[in-house]
Amino acid sequence: MKFLDSLSIPREKLAAFQLPAHIAGTVAALLGIASLVFPWSYSHVALDDVAYAGAPSALQFNYLGLAIFVAVLFAVPLVVRKPGKLRDAVAWNTGAKFGGIGLFVVGLVAVLAIGLETGGLVNVDPGGWIVLVAGILALVAGLVLDPSPAPSMGKFKTPRVVQILAIALGLGAVLMAAAFALSLDGAGAFLFYLVFAGVLALTLVRTGVFGWLAQCAADNKQVLVLAAFVAAFVFPFTQNGSEANMSIATQVLIFSATALGLNIVVGLVGLLDLGYIAFLGAGAFTAATLSGSVYAATNWHPPFIVTVLISGTVASILGLIIGTPTLRVSGDYLAIVTLAFGEIFRITMNNLDGTDGPRITNGSNGINNVPELSLLGFNFGAPHTLLGVEIGRFANYFWLMLVVLAVIMVVFVNLNRSRIGRGWVAIREDELAAEAMGVNTFGLKILAFAGGAFLAGLAGAVKAHHDVSVTPDQYVFLESAFLLAAVVLGGMGTVLGVLVGATILKLLPEKLRFFSDYRLLLFGLLLVFMMRFRPEGLIADERRQLEFHAEDEELAEEVEEDLINYHDHYNPDALVKEELK
Amino acid sequence: MNRRLVKLAAVTFVAGTLALTGCGSRADTSSTGSAAAKKVAKIGVIAPLSGDLSALGLGIKNSVDLAIKQANDSNAIPGWTLVLAAEDDEAKPDVGKNAATKLSSDNEVVGVVGTLNSSVAQSVTPVLQPAKIVQVSPANTNPTLTQGKDTANPARPYDNYFRTCTTDAVQGPTAATYLLSIGVKQVATIHDKKSYGQGLVEAFSKAFTAGGGTIVAAQTINPDDKDFSAVVTNVKAASPAAVFYGGEYPQAGPLSKQMKAAGLNVPLMGGDGIYDPAYVDLAGSAANGDLATSVGAPVESLSSAKAFVAAYTAAAYKDPMGAYGAQSYDAANAIINALKVSLAKATDAKSARGDTVTALGSVSFDGATGKIAFDKYGDATSKVITVYKVTGGKWGTEKILS
Amino acid sequence: MDLFWQQLINGLSLGALYALIAVGYTVVYGIVQLINFAHGEIFMVGAFGAFATWVVLGSPKQLSWQAAIFGVLPAMILGGMIASVAVALLTERLAYRPLRDAPRLAPLITAIGISVFLQEFVRLFFGDIPGMPDSKRAIPFPTITGISGEAWHLGNVTIQLSSVFTIGALAICTVFLWFYVNRTKTGRAMIATSQDPSTARLMGINVDRVIMSAFAVGAALAAVAGVAHGLRYGNIDFRMGFLAGLKAFTAAVLGGIGNINGAVVGGLVLGVVESMATTFIPGQFGSPAWKDVWAFVLLILVLVFRPQGLLGSKGVDRA
Repeated sequence: MKFLDSLSIPREKLAAFQLPAHIAGTVAALLGIASLVFPWSYSHVALDDVAYAGAPSALQFNYLGLAIFVAVLFAVPLVVRKPGKLRDAVAWNTGAKFGGIGLFVVGLVAVLAIGLETGGLVNVDPGGWIVLVAGILALVAGLVLDPSPAPSMGKFKTPRVVQILAIALGLGAVLMAAAFALSLDGAGAFLFYLVFAGVLALTLVRTGVFGWLAQCAADNKQVLVLAAFVAAFVFPFTQNGSEANMSIATQVLIFSATALGLNIVVGLVGLLDLGYIAFLGAGAFTAATLSGSVYAATNWHPPFIVTVLISGTVASILGLIIGTPTLRVSGDYLAIVTLAFGEIFRITMNNLDGTDGPRITNGSNGINNVPELSLLGFNFGAPHTLLGVEIGRFANYFWLMLVVLAVIMVVFVNLNRSRIGRGWVAIREDELAAEAMGVNTFGLKILAFAGGAFLAGLAGAVKAHHDVSVTPDQYVFLESAFLLAAVVLGGMGTVLGVLVGATILKLLPEKLRFFSDYRLLLFGLLLVFMMRFRPEGLIADERRQLEFHAEDEELAEEVEEDLINYHDHYNPDALVKEELK
Repeated sequence: MNRRLVKLAAVTFVAGTLALTGCGSRADTSSTGSAAAKKVAKIGVIAPLSGDLSALGLGIKNSVDLAIKQANDSNAIPGWTLVLAAEDDEAKPDVGKNAATKLSSDNEVVGVVGTLNSSVAQSVTPVLQPAKIVQVSPANTNPTLTQGKDTANPARPYDNYFRTCTTDAVQGPTAATYLLSIGVKQVATIHDKKSYGQGLVEAFSKAFTAGGGTIVAAQTINPDDKDFSAVVTNVKAASPAAVFYGGEYPQAGPLSKQMKAAGLNVPLMGGDGIYDPAYVDLAGSAANGDLATSVGAPVESLSSAKAFVAAYTAAAYKDPMGAYGAQSYDAANAIINALKVSLAKATDAKSARGDTVTALGSVSFDGATGKIAFDKYGDATSKVITVYKVTGGKWGTEKILS
Repeated sequence: MDLFWQQLINGLSLGALYALIAVGYTVVYGIVQLINFAHGEIFMVGAFGAFATWVVLGSPKQLSWQAAIFGVLPAMILGGMIASVAVALLTERLAYRPLRDAPRLAPLITAIGISVFLQEFVRLFFGDIPGMPDSKRAIPFPTITGISGEAWHLGNVTIQLSSVFTIGALAICTVFLWFYVNRTKTGRAMIATSQDPSTARLMGINVDRVIMSAFAVGAALAAVAGVAHGLRYGNIDFRMGFLAGLKAFTAAVLGGIGNINGAVVGGLVLGVVESMATTFIPGQFGSPAWKDVWAFVLLILVLVFRPQGLLGSKGVDRA
């Protein structure tokens, strides 16, 4: 660890402490387990009520799981001394190190959350302090350990059935975790759980278990995607009719779908669009106008399928109108012009109220009373009972959005892999070179712009019905900035990254209301720090990452290898491989 | 601070040792409820508690809190404890809808005070209506919320929606009558295109021309504008005797200042949106002579209003009551009055929701803004409007109209 | 005809305000090819700095015009400049400099982040400084005796002294800037760096310092604009930088980004177009509610037909 290096303790000096460190770490983790015998807090309001002796709360059971896991990580090398299959499969020491760090961080968060939620650290009971002490001990023990050799688990040959089972179990765990996180009401409890989940994931990555899971996933891509959608589909059943959570979940999906559209423009082609929310707005206003609402300017009310397509088309026409002139100039100008365009859109929607222009949008009052969707006799507004669980209004829209999102993802992934997608990446990496190689840069840029707008228009059409009212003040610059942040935070050019980024940006403010006044401040800082320290995003596209870290040779090799494999996959012609090597 | 900490530490130490020795297990929580047999009903608040308009939103929340505390202290509803459940809407329809969804899935919530913005109400009310949760707004002035889209043929869209403030349809004509009565025949109108401002100006213009006046210029601005020179120039060219502005003080103050700097020395008149001390701050000495209408009789003329102000001050809230404090206090008391009827025979809070909506329709009491009762659309029946005028850098009562 | 002259005066003074801000965009862009999106916020910080200076001076209110114009006003401008230059240099040092060799997207996104951060920072914390009012809503700007609210009348045309101040400030700043760029060593180093940074470095020019001086010059002018804004509109708020910054950028592009004279001309043209549009475009679209739209439409038209701007030379487009 860098921290240890900075203390300048040579590794050799620590060699003698390996055994004590293992023992200490195990003891620390056991101590953490023992803390559950005592109450953590005097007051019942902290976390999810951790004031009972010997009767752990849900969060405490989670902590128990983590502590047992860490105990195993520390203890196994004590028992299995000889190198062998078991010893080499998992990076015990590295895992233990991160587990130790994790126990410490979780313990710290627990004590701080109890202190803050109850109004003082005096309310932390012995259990809480034991957790903190166990964490510190585990941290020190973990830092002393020598790093393990690379785990071999990822290279195991696993039977197909086991792989699929692992995927199913993994996604099931993610689903349960998401449902559980949403059910937590207190800010402290939510934060504690978030930290817990992050720490657990990091520890799993470092032990090499993730490497194995990733291998399983890579071998069964279709199964994985299908399973992920099944998990998302099942999600409403875990909510037991909680409308509030489903509403948030649906908004996350709408936001993700829009961000994915933006990801084509920013992530794949590298065009910075700062007015992207206008396309979502165009879709929403179009759909609201055609929805048959009494406030709409027209009485024409086509079926929703038609409305969706019209909404997407209107949005992409706007994309063309704004894109055609400005894509001829350079990237920086484009950013500002799109920003100006976003403002033009908002002001225009504000002005089409009958006073300053034709009455189409009712100005700032917007189009209200957008009726509920009704597709093939299925009313989205009414709750339905399915398998004995009441499925409310938002769950209906959640499923609809899931379908829209699936469509967008299929488009995105296929475009990305196609000739068009490679053209886009070429433009992003070096426009002049791409043009010289015969890539039709202007046409491809226009396609990206109009295509991205179309996807946002689709999402907007659903949003209009989901929101019931469409007003211009929902489509301000800050929303565009949030979309951009979702792309930047998650990882430009990747699907999973954008989903993660969108979830973080939408979910955290809903759950952590206490910092709502500081939300934008932190948001601004987040953008600055991301660009400074991890510009490629949390879940990075490797080629993209290379652009930001040109000096990283290891990464360059990896990317090159991927490219060769990629060629192998799509051109079985071995010559290419030879040439590139 | 220190003494509190010491006390807290001592209490914790004693209790902690007790807890360690004899702390019960999770199973017996249900029996340890000490407040015996008092059932809980929650009154929600949906208002902007953060962001630009938080000054107004926090005033609403505190005023409701005050009403609830007073009701609990006087045991207004025997057998029930009222609890405040405040949610932030950030003045955004999206966020407001989330807040409403959250409140409606809470079985103890029986009524909601809010919202501040008409646009937020438009997405909040459709969520609360199916849950039969009564909503009383202290500040929405858009007529369509109670009378439907076509105000000429009113049809109530939401039976659970009430408001303690008057709509633009009442304020605008009153302002017109007042201006005509002081001999102003030519007026220019400006509004900020938001529901409130536009509605106010439309109602004003209709009454003003019907009364024999002329609208010599009709202009609009954008709500986030700072530069009004173009508007002022256009208005000045029409040489009006007064300017009627539909909108709120953040724009109205600078507008008045820029008007007078550009040599247009006529009074600016507006609705309750500009009746705020901040207006005078922003307009500076240019504000003298400007007029505003506001709903209800002036505070100093009503004993119930004075009592509210005194109680609010005594409660020592961190934030001022804001422009809508009295209306919010009345809104909360209206709900409490309805709950006296509906909760009396109810076994749990959720089952009383429908009865509360019915009971609210026939509520009648003396509130901080005057007599509180609702007509068949859910609008306040009290239509007292006071005209205020800025003199010597302060708002003063000019005339009470009804 | 009166209406025409009146709107021309309005437009010129509005344009002068844009021009003062636009210079900051253009100087920085000319040297590092960076659109400093946060420049609008630097302008806002300048205005708040000037206000804070006034409070520190004891909030002087009833002053003679001599004391106000020659005592308080220069002090406020200086205070505003100190605040805005300090913030601009900090952002350059902490946020932009580490990204100088990164792909172009990175500094632009950083700039957006800084812009949001500065707005929120002022909104949340300005009121916490002892003596300062709550900044969550607009703050009335101090009146300067002899300028605020005073006007000259020429027939039916009113010329506000705050407009005279803005136009005068622009004139003085332009002269000063011309002198600085063409007659001082740092100025000539700026020209050299903008033409060829690597050769300039070889010639012994401290490029870092040149870039810092570009940020500083832009910020100083933005502070003057901040004071002019306060005098003109009578209030300041944390959000004032967003739209003003966007307009100023439009002005910079209009005049030819990278060209200082272009920024001045672009600002004036934009201001006049905006004012005239509200009077001379007939029908509903001539309403003042559309004026921002016309400004941005102008930006798009310029980019289509003359991307190098009114005064720009061909080949400016390096991006």
